[in-house]
Amino acid sequence: MLSMKNVSKIYRTEHIETHALSEFTLEVATGSFVAVMGPSGSGKTTFLNLAGLLDTFEKGTYHLDGVDVSRLSDSEMSRIRNTKIGFIFQTFNLIPDLNVFDNVDVPLRYRGVSAAGRRTAIEEVLELVGLASRAKHHPSQLSGGQQQRVAIARAMAGAPRLILADEPTGNLDSAMANEIMDLLEKVNETGTTIVMVTHDPELANRAERQLHVLDGRLIDMRADEPRPLMPRPSLSSTPNSPGMPGGSIRPATT
Amino acid sequence: MLGYNLRLALLSLRRNPYLTLLLVAGIALGIGVSTTFVTAMYTFAGHPIPHKEGTLLYVEIDTWDPQRPFDDDHPERPPNQMTWMDVMALKKSDIPLHSAGMYKALLTVHPASKEMRPYRADTRMTHGDFFDMFDVPFAHGSGWGASADEGPEPVVVLSDETNQKLFGGENSVGRTVRLEERDFTVVGVMAPWRPIPKYYDPHNGATDEAEKLYIPIRWAEPMEIVSSGNTSGWKQFEGSGFSAFLGSESVWLQMWVEVKNEQDTERYKAYLDAYATEQKKLGRFQRPINNRLLSVSQWLKEEEVVPEEARAMLIIGLLFLLVCSVNLIGILLSKFMARAPEVSVRRALGASRLRVFLQHLTECEIIGVIGGLAGIGLTFLGVRLVENLFSANFSFKVDLKMMAVAVALSLTSALIAGLYPAWRICRIQPAAHLKVQ
Repeated sequence: MLSMKNVSKIYRTEHIETHALSEFTLEVATGSFVAVMGPSGSGKTTFLNLAGLLDTFEKGTYHLDGVDVSRLSDSEMSRIRNTKIGFIFQTFNLIPDLNVFDNVDVPLRYRGVSAAGRRTAIEEVLELVGLASRAKHHPSQLSGGQQQRVAIARAMAGAPRLILADEPTGNLDSAMANEIMDLLEKVNETGTTIVMVTHDPELANRAERQLHVLDGRLIDMRADEPRPLMPRPSLSSTPNSPGMPGGSIRPATT
Repeated sequence: MLGYNLRLALLSLRRNPYLTLLLVAGIALGIGVSTTFVTAMYTFAGHPIPHKEGTLLYVEIDTWDPQRPFDDDHPERPPNQMTWMDVMALKKSDIPLHSAGMYKALLTVHPASKEMRPYRADTRMTHGDFFDMFDVPFAHGSGWGASADEGPEPVVVLSDETNQKLFGGENSVGRTVRLEERDFTVVGVMAPWRPIPKYYDPHNGATDEAEKLYIPIRWAEPMEIVSSGNTSGWKQFEGSGFSAFLGSESVWLQMWVEVKNEQDTERYKAYLDAYATEQKKLGRFQRPINNRLLSVSQWLKEEEVVPEEARAMLIIGLLFLLVCSVNLIGILLSKFMARAPEVSVRRALGASRLRVFLQHLTECEIIGVIGGLAGIGLTFLGVRLVENLFSANFSFKVDLKMMAVAVALSLTSALIAGLYPAWRICRIQPAAHLKVQ
């Protein structure tokens, strides 16, 4: 799904060069759930930004879903972000003026999905995250956990192949954090690849693979030694859609 | 996507109504001022009879002093009016489709009603071709023919206003109007007519209303009707009295001809040159032959019908609009850059730079449309002020064309103001704003 080879990212100011990532090499298989850990400033978020085509890099190659994204134009990268990647942020990053429905609608708008297609997709993802009844609420009327659920719904609305989550539970208490992790696991079971940055070892242990980043380098990678997965909550309460185990998500149609 | 952009723009404008008000007021003020002056300029500079450009011609012949030109600033120009003798002679040519000599006079009208006192009215002394040449609209009757010119016959054409005043707006054709000490029969009543500028005689008041009465020009002689317009002369009269004035070299009449085509223009020009050559042989014209036929637009340009103040104010108005736009750049820049976190989220979710750019330009254009409409309101106030400024005794018209100009100016200004801020916000690095919302 995601293949980086010898990727380097340097931040430059007038007098200082900061090597945020050095010779970063990583393979993430399709459908896997990967946790990325490391101390603050180690390069986790830089890696996530590069992976999500939100930033550019100086050296190396990066293939996303088989496509070399190193030399794509802005509009091509935007299209890939829109169709293949979903983002979940620590601070939720919902748009305050828009209600829940319209927040989830944003990526579908940029994809040019028909009004009927958008409505169906939004209603289904809101149902999945348990917020169907809150569609008309604005972010300020929701708890932190609910806001992050909306963010997850927004990330899932376009049925992306990859979800990048940057400390998705960082602003939540442990109960809420577990709920969000349950939800991410549920999404992963639909076949969506998830790469999650976290500081929390307990949450990282729920991923099927953990990566450690230090000083911009991947120093500890147990990719070849799959760990036994943590027990996951049952999904039996959620109605399945044909061909999409574990949820009622279906790709939006254009 | 346009619908979505419009919705986002309206949401953004509602988010901070005071800032929106400031932006709209900035544009509206600029539009109000600039459109006011565009309207004034448009009124002065507009072509009053475009379909006759090139065929309706003002006649000039150089009858002036051999020692000096008529206009020291423009020595190449012949006098801008003509003598009585020349007008009467040139009227005889059958080359033009129509031709008319004319001048402005003041006549005393003696109303039939005992309740009305006699009053003085602006009168145009002219030939009967005047009405066809200048497309004068008639409510009743028509102008007069060549025989009335020759007679002269006591016929009169009334303006709509005069007909209202003397006959209550009824069809007064065939009725009698007493002018000075003579009765004239009404042959025509004009529909309301207000050529702006008064192009057939701009140097006697380009912004004046058309005359209230029209009678055959040859009544000048028996009734000794003097001109109330400009008269210029360079040579002492021979003899005394009004007939001596008519036989003098004083220039005080205007002459217009209407020709069918360019060939006729050339023929008429040759005719004028032949006439001037003949007059030279007679010892009358002593300057080099310098006859001119000016189109309406050439004539208005030469007469400087558009006041210099109007031109200056138009430039000031447009500069003011530019200043307003430049001020808006700063406000829009801070408004848009404050939205960097939201734009970063949109970029992460798939919005390309172009889409972000267009979204923000849409917002600017909405400000432009609202500002433009408010600016049209201010223009209506502005033109009233400018009318006083130019002492114009007519109203500047803020018509649909001017409203379209206002909206176009407004959209352009908003576009100019919005280009840089929209470009800046679409170039932000999303990664820098997503972590710290």
